[in-house]
Amino acid sequence: MKHACKEISRLASDSLDRKLTLWEKLQFRMHLLICSNCRNCADSLKLMRHALALIEKTKYGNVRLSDTQRNKLKQALKKNTDH
Amino acid sequence: MSENNDPHLWLNDHGDYLYRYAFSRLHNEDLAADMLQETLLAGWKGFNNFAGQSSIRTWLTGILQHKIIDHIRREIRNRKLTESVENDPTSAYFNENGSWREVPSAWKDNPEALCQSEQFHAVLESCISKLPEKQQIIFRMRDITGEDSDTICKSCDMTSTHLHVLLHRARLALRKCLEWNWFGQGSRP
Repeated sequence: MKHACKEISRLASDSLDRKLTLWEKLQFRMHLLICSNCRNCADSLKLMRHALALIEKTKYGNVRLSDTQRNKLKQALKKNTDH
Repeated sequence: MSENNDPHLWLNDHGDYLYRYAFSRLHNEDLAADMLQETLLAGWKGFNNFAGQSSIRTWLTGILQHKIIDHIRREIRNRKLTESVENDPTSAYFNENGSWREVPSAWKDNPEALCQSEQFHAVLESCISKLPEKQQIIFRMRDITGEDSDTICKSCDMTSTHLHVLLHRARLALRKCLEWNWFGQGSRP
């Protein structure tokens, strides 16, 4: 039986978040063998996630506390930890 | 490894790391710095609970993570963001028999190249911002920050099943938006 592409798109998404059951995995793989639309969909979901993670890494990789923030934190720590 | 109960030292050694952790999740400089301050003070007060089995950085990150989860949970509650599981919007992409209404094309771009393109960033951000607010929050947490499902469920008071439903919706909507505005043939700006 040909599984509806809608259900397969759900499995494609779920597979990014949880381990599919054996049966789901089987359905998923069998369907992708015969359906290029769902292959494209599954590939695009993976590509989106990969690109987003890369962008995020580039964006925040160099984030540092500014000197102003650091000094403010130092003062706050001093005030709150002095007896 | 012995550690001292010295928040000034922690600020020095782990401040940037913890700040980055908070900022990448909260997207707000002042809020991230506040969370960092609360974390360092909570660590100082609760230092007796530090068992020394993990590094001090891991321990402090755990405290910070809890504070961030609490913050996001409060935000979501205050703004009463809900989205019902009924009325599945993904139905719009499929025919009655469950086949694709508009067939997905093959995306040829490689992620490294996309990552470099300012234009792509802009299209992506505009597509994400069109998602319903709750989907945006969980999608950003999961696929952008890379938070694990458990943490998201806790932050958002939702079951993992509900989380998966919303992520499916968000990803298909985003896929479609990118297909139209970026990957689709001839639509490249």
